[in-house]
Amino acid sequence: MGTSPLMAMGIKAMAANYAALQTTSHNIANANVAGYSRQQVQLATAQGQFSGAGFFGRGVDVVAVTRSHDAFLTGEAAGARALAGMDASRLEQLQRLEGIFRPGESGLGHATDAFLNSLADLASRPTDGAVRQVVLARAGDLADRYGQAGSALDEVQAGVSSGLQATVAQVNTLARSIAETNQRIAALRGLGQPANDLLDQREQLISELSQHVKTSRIEADDGSLAIFIGGGQSLVLGAEAVHLTVVADAADPSRSALAIEAGGPPRPLAQDALGGGSIAGLLRFQNQDLVDARTLVGRLAAAVGGAINEQQRRGVTLQPPLGQVAGGDLFALGPARALPHAGNARDGSGNPIGSVALTLTDSSALQASEYELREDPALPGSWQLTRLRDGQVQTVASGDVVDGMRIDFGAPAPQPGDRFLLQPVTRAANGMATLLGDPDELAAASPLVASTGPANTGSVGVASLAMTAAPLPLPDASVRITFTDDSGGYTWEVLDAGNATLSSGSGNWQPGQPIPAPPLDLNGFSLQLSGVPRTGDLLTVAPTPAAAMAGNNGNALALLGLRDAAVVGGRSASDAWSQALAEVGVRVQSGRSSAEISQAVASQAELSRSAVSGVNLDEEAARLIQFQQSYQAAAKVLQVAQSLFDTLLEAAGGG
Amino acid sequence: MRIATAHTFDASLAQLQRRQKALGEAQEQLTSGKRVLRASDDPAAAAAAERALSTLSRSDAQQRALDASRAATQLAESSLGEAGALLQQARELLVGAGNGSYNDADRSSLGQVIAGLRGDLLALANRRDSDGRYIFGGQGSDGPPLQDGPGGVGFNGTPGQATTAAGAAAPLSVDGRAVWLRADDPALPGQALSVFDVMDRVASELMTPGRSQAEVAATVSRGLAEIDASSANLSTWRTRTGETLNRLDALSDQVSQEALDTREARSAAEDLDMVQAISDFQSRQSGYDAALKTYSIVQRMSLFDYLR
Repeated sequence: MGTSPLMAMGIKAMAANYAALQTTSHNIANANVAGYSRQQVQLATAQGQFSGAGFFGRGVDVVAVTRSHDAFLTGEAAGARALAGMDASRLEQLQRLEGIFRPGESGLGHATDAFLNSLADLASRPTDGAVRQVVLARAGDLADRYGQAGSALDEVQAGVSSGLQATVAQVNTLARSIAETNQRIAALRGLGQPANDLLDQREQLISELSQHVKTSRIEADDGSLAIFIGGGQSLVLGAEAVHLTVVADAADPSRSALAIEAGGPPRPLAQDALGGGSIAGLLRFQNQDLVDARTLVGRLAAAVGGAINEQQRRGVTLQPPLGQVAGGDLFALGPARALPHAGNARDGSGNPIGSVALTLTDSSALQASEYELREDPALPGSWQLTRLRDGQVQTVASGDVVDGMRIDFGAPAPQPGDRFLLQPVTRAANGMATLLGDPDELAAASPLVASTGPANTGSVGVASLAMTAAPLPLPDASVRITFTDDSGGYTWEVLDAGNATLSSGSGNWQPGQPIPAPPLDLNGFSLQLSGVPRTGDLLTVAPTPAAAMAGNNGNALALLGLRDAAVVGGRSASDAWSQALAEVGVRVQSGRSSAEISQAVASQAELSRSAVSGVNLDEEAARLIQFQQSYQAAAKVLQVAQSLFDTLLEAAGGG
Repeated sequence: MRIATAHTFDASLAQLQRRQKALGEAQEQLTSGKRVLRASDDPAAAAAAERALSTLSRSDAQQRALDASRAATQLAESSLGEAGALLQQARELLVGAGNGSYNDADRSSLGQVIAGLRGDLLALANRRDSDGRYIFGGQGSDGPPLQDGPGGVGFNGTPGQATTAAGAAAPLSVDGRAVWLRADDPALPGQALSVFDVMDRVASELMTPGRSQAEVAATVSRGLAEIDASSANLSTWRTRTGETLNRLDALSDQVSQEALDTREARSAAEDLDMVQAISDFQSRQSGYDAALKTYSIVQRMSLFDYLR
């Protein structure tokens, strides 16, 4: 047996250990590279050579350089990342929203209270110009705060849209890079060895992509990966990437939607199908949280502003001719809108054919919601209204009043298959402003005044007289109420200016109940009594005498009464505000805990992934020593082989 | 299990940042003194604090309304007191007029004094408060509510009383018709008697010359009865305004007490328990400190340091 096998074995061992050292150094060098998978050299024992004495080993071979990679753990980490990205982007937006629902003195609720309470001073001093000026200033503050909240919500929407644009641009870049990497991996496939660093690079790109949008993947035979988003929509297929784009939402063009451009017009992707990623977080925030916040603020503005406007219209101002000028609206509110869906039937010039008009009829019945109006798929010609906040569905026809709004079909009426998004309150806070410039325009006086008869024997008095309808339906008419027994029975007469009876009737008064008992309307008033009436006692509700008009505070008291009235969907304004505040608070709180949990899950998944793929420097240090020693040992083999050869030469030369 | 070195660094850094953030939040709470700075810190407490704030701003408005009512009522009460004194003066003059030794001239001068008192009384009845409102104007009057007319003094306002809302209705005026024109006629029960008519008649009868002693005696006795009836009516109204003042004071105390309770409720909902907050802050501080120390120790350890 010669010495050359020994030498060859030494050289192979040196080469193998050198390769291992090279790989270890590569690991050390890439320890901090995101997405890098630890590599290792696969060594195999070379097949022995047979001789009569058995097999003689022939050293070691380098088989392959492999990367430590677990497809399952990598997929888990990417999925967890997508969820964390979604929750984090939603939380970020929710926190911006919370800045609009501020508690305390700088909040919307306090501005509403300050305005309503200033009416107490107007009731005490109805003729005082300074007090009236203060009331107008408070009304201005209130309108400003709501207007600012409305424009702040617009800014949040703008932020969401530009965030989506930027994210979608990143997603498109990443998708293109993945497609390119796919191509290079497929091209290197023929070499028979895995292109470890390219695979890592692609994995890293997918991981970055997952942060923005949840992906699923299928590996093709050529090693390229097909990437799918939104429940089966392909984003990358081999060397081709599909282009995503941000388009205006079909239902409400002020919102943004995600669409895919795969030849032809952009096709919208449903937000629900996305499943995760920061894009899904932004869209969910926009379509749910922001809409809810808008309707909460808008409903407060529409309900409080509407109730004040209505009561203001029932009163009489200080403007000349005194006692003749009914109050006008105090607040301007943003419009109620009915938006045609982008897919509605259109005429030749692209305008929707059918239309729907929305009118607010009862501000106190408004709900903090938007509505979808569409044709009943099961019953063509019948229209279905869905309240989007709770999904309640009902059938409506033109002219129906639902939740304080009247729906009128236009001419031409909605076409078959049309859809409309109804926004009764969504934009109410935007552009809220005071309409009155002159303090005298505040309607502090009531057009009617109640007084007790001079010869009354009971203790009956007037607790309050509120106007429930627009005043002066019967100019100069007065109402005389005469008690006919000691248990509240009374007769009423409506008299004209000449004291001729226009109409009459009878009723029965119970303590705490108003006169007249609803729904009877005698002259637009509701009278609350104090004390006890006796037989023959008289009450008159007559037009306020001109002489008493300036000092009358009846309507100021009625306006003040709105503090406690159920003006916002069965609640007082301040209760409704506290509730809205708490609702947003709860949403931020749960958004925060979701974000914390999904972040923790993502960290855990990343820990598991990095336990397999990551580089531990202590380990690499140990390997470095291990391979260095093996290399030195292999070199020693070479040295021994050489010295054996020398020995042979010497022996041959000496002989 | 393998610990990836890069991940350890990332994880430790994230941990440090979390600790630092928690410390910053504790500091924010300490410096603001509030436990609830945002609704999401504690939504239920934020809503409770918001309701308390609403109640507080309402209490302020109620106190202002009560103050306005109290000012008007005090003025009415003192006017009624002065009116009672004027009537008492008129009564004494009338008793004097019954003196048998007085002649027409003496009675006439007494009559003139009484006529003057009547003028003072009318001025009192038409008194205005600091806001220019006639305190006896009932539900409102843009001119003096009690005015001389062909049939005596008439009421020019709307009967009843103006009120402001301060939780309960609080008067801003008194019904001048009932005070001045509706005393019970002692001679004709159920009939209303005007204090001005009484004084007008007494003054004019005393100023009429050539009346017999019996006629003068009749004037005096009727006049005394009627002045007493008017006085009784005025003092009933004075008592009533006094009661109103008492009620306003009680209401005011009640509103202040409610405001105090509400302030406590607001504070309980959103204010910080300082002792606990400081202890929390210190524990977070030591947590952060410990994290920094262990980070520096753990990250310093590397096998490379031992391979020399």
